Amino acid sequence: MTEERFDYAKLGLKCGLEIHQQIDTNKLFCNCPSVLRSEEPDFTVLRKLHAVAGQTGEVDEAAVYESELGKEFVYQGYDTTCLVELDEEPPHEINKDALKIALQVAVFLNCKIIPISQIMRKTVIDGSNTSGFQRTVVIAKNGWFDTPYGRVGIETIGLEEDAARIIEKREDEVVFRLDRLGIPLIEVATSPDMKTPEQAKEAALHIGEILRACKVKRGIGTIRQDVNISIKGGNRIEIKGVQEPALIIKTINSEIQRQLKLLENKEKIKKEVRQALPDGDTKFMRPMPGAARMYPETDLPLLKISRDLINDVKKSLPKLKSEKREELRTTGLNEEMMKLILDEDKLEEFKEMLIVANKPKLIAKMLLIFPKEISSHEGVEKETIGGRLNKDALIFVLEALEQGKIDENQVKQVLTRVAKGTLPRDAILFKKQDSSEIEEAIMKLIKEKSGLNANAYMGLVMKEFKGKISGKEAMEIILKYMK
Amino acid sequence: MIVETGDYVKVKLVKEEYLGILLEAPKDEKGIILLKLDSGYNIGLDRKKILNIKVLRKAKEEKEEKISIKKQADKPNVAMILTGGTISSTLDVKTGAVKWLTSPEKLFQFYPDLFKHVNILKVEVPFMKGSENMSYNDWRKISKVAVKLLNDDNVKGLIISHGTDFLHYTSAALSFFLRNLNKPVVLTYSQRSSDRASSDASLNLECSAIASVSDIAEVMLVGHASDNDDFCYAMPGTKVRKLHSSRRDAFKVVNTTPFAKISPGYIAKISDYKTRSQVKGKVKLDDKFEEKIALVKFYPGMNPSILDYYIKNKYKGLVIEVSGLGHLAIGKEARYNLLPKIKEAISKGIIVCAAPQTIYGRLDPLVYSPGRELLNAGIIFLEDMLAETALIKLGWVLGHKEWAKSKEIVKEKMLENFSHEINDRLEE
Repeated sequence: MTEERFDYAKLGLKCGLEIHQQIDTNKLFCNCPSVLRSEEPDFTVLRKLHAVAGQTGEVDEAAVYESELGKEFVYQGYDTTCLVELDEEPPHEINKDALKIALQVAVFLNCKIIPISQIMRKTVIDGSNTSGFQRTVVIAKNGWFDTPYGRVGIETIGLEEDAARIIEKREDEVVFRLDRLGIPLIEVATSPDMKTPEQAKEAALHIGEILRACKVKRGIGTIRQDVNISIKGGNRIEIKGVQEPALIIKTINSEIQRQLKLLENKEKIKKEVRQALPDGDTKFMRPMPGAARMYPETDLPLLKISRDLINDVKKSLPKLKSEKREELRTTGLNEEMMKLILDEDKLEEFKEMLIVANKPKLIAKMLLIFPKEISSHEGVEKETIGGRLNKDALIFVLEALEQGKIDENQVKQVLTRVAKGTLPRDAILFKKQDSSEIEEAIMKLIKEKSGLNANAYMGLVMKEFKGKISGKEAMEIILKYMK
Repeated sequence: MIVETGDYVKVKLVKEEYLGILLEAPKDEKGIILLKLDSGYNIGLDRKKILNIKVLRKAKEEKEEKISIKKQADKPNVAMILTGGTISSTLDVKTGAVKWLTSPEKLFQFYPDLFKHVNILKVEVPFMKGSENMSYNDWRKISKVAVKLLNDDNVKGLIISHGTDFLHYTSAALSFFLRNLNKPVVLTYSQRSSDRASSDASLNLECSAIASVSDIAEVMLVGHASDNDDFCYAMPGTKVRKLHSSRRDAFKVVNTTPFAKISPGYIAKISDYKTRSQVKGKVKLDDKFEEKIALVKFYPGMNPSILDYYIKNKYKGLVIEVSGLGHLAIGKEARYNLLPKIKEAISKGIIVCAAPQTIYGRLDPLVYSPGRELLNAGIIFLEDMLAETALIKLGWVLGHKEWAKSKEIVKEKMLENFSHEINDRLEE
């Protein structure tokens, strides 16, 4: 692997991005929930796919290359699967929520919405779609956004169905799981405007930020980045599935290296699709698909996006992370805390808790720091903690603090109790019967170390009795015996 | 230059222009122009917003692909009748229009699996239409062509492709029209269009080909047995019904079992059927039919005056879908008592039959008194016969003048088992 830099201008490097992001709604063409399943399937269905010759008079090269004709496909289904995913019922009308989210992204990226579009079938015969095609529709075009290295155009924004997950590949049989099939994907395709790998990375980060501002799925496998690359004398190469923006630079450089080597040896660079590897390298996947692959989804009417819907979307745009950061800055939190809140998507909880008590630092700790510390100190599973220290529990504890039922330095102890399974209303109760013992101990301490000021005694007392007595009570006792 | 679908055009709007291939817009979208962009995506443009359309490149003359089907001398000869439906249609992507697949070459192109087991000797296309648009005339046309093909000694069997929705009416009609049947007559369909790699037509046709050269000398419907692409059932033409609007295994046998289970590798007998050698002589056409018949579904609260239409228009026969073991509203509790109107219809010479609305199970008018009253009024209770089959059978029986002249003969014929339509031993 080389990390060397090239004279990209001289090479005539042109990069484009195609980003696919799962939307967090029910499925695109049926009302099944978009949840991935890990249990044993409830049922399986056996299917075969057949050659589809002569649709346009030409058969798509890529479709044939990928085809697993003659193979049997086993599809795993669950109680979250319906006849649509099984290719046993026509698609329902497009999911309006998913459409709205895709339109939000289109508005953020300054695109022109296409008012009338046709939902298309893209031939896919590797078995990953029960129907033999993927439904896809273009909803917007001609957008743009700026990067520090210059403006990048958006060619199209589309909505499409995700494919079934491959579970097992046997000799003459492939096993797929239907849970992922039909999850809405938004597809953002840029123009080949990026002239350096750095710009491509910046562009990917920018698009990623916009996507995450909208209601999209998070986590591994929910976003997939493809990079198109061409250099002078070469041909357009599409690299599928670059895992993260950080790998984009490495992947582009490695592809340039490969093409230069081919050119040096006077070999022709073929238009093709390559697969991104985790180390930044690529490998051949299939020939480039053509327009012959697409034909209309005749089971659905034309998709019409009204002025009203567009206006509706414009009015309800979510806030971008940069806007949220500005909002957070007014609370006086430090950069690190702000980043944590935004990265862990806790802004809404934070704002809600801030209404209960104007203690931004404590709230940030309650949301982000304490749960992690409790998890590692007490050995409680993160998921369990997340469930127990939910927003309602945190707000309850915060209210108890505001009402003087507990002290600020008791908050972590309360949260620890809750995390370990105590109900919040019990967790805020502290034993009072020890107070006479504590008072005796304080009296003894003042006698032994006479002559110190009240604050010094306070420090010593709190060191010993932290959590057992509130600061206010301790000070009262200290002042009583110092007289 | 005249702009035609298939042309590569430039469409100019006020603020922008689009390049693409002009397509045929859906029939219900007259105000829209459909364009295939270079990316392959189709978009619609409002006609009112278009300033002009310029042809950049005329559509290429479509060259009919020359596909030759090899003579397969080693395989048995069968004949095919195409009648329409999803199985015989394909989408012309260039124009967006639906086209019929009417030649053996086109069939071969889309359904090569059909040709694995048989040699398609002849293809006849009496008409092309969806099954909902068919009537007695069409059933007669199909059966006329069928008899001609079946009596050709070179033909071992017959495959008929058909729309699904009312396929069981056609299969019932052929079951009665084709007498002295000595070869397989296989009706098949598809629920998923031919453009899909997942089309169910492929397995249905392959299994139909196997059925058409089998020993089953019956009219049968061959289609998916379940939603798996593994095997089909051969189902009696009179005992089958579409029971699902979209699944591959839309057709189910009712009140009986399939003749056989067929997969691309084997055929296994399930229940008794006539075999080729049991029938001597030629296939005979008996397509006499009385069209003044109707199927009426009873529902609670039904107004008897509905039957006035049939009485006034001199209908010859009615099949009423009754429920339970054979019930209609005729008691004192009923808002409308149907009995007087039914008696009136019968007195005017209308043959009134009853078939089960429940689909599954047999009628038995003797169990409850309303049933006995209806029986006494002269209603013919058709045992476990499907209502759709009953309608076709009634038309066929009444079409025979020598039978129709006597109510007794009509009753006798309606209850005679011609083609498995009555099963006197229900096992489920």
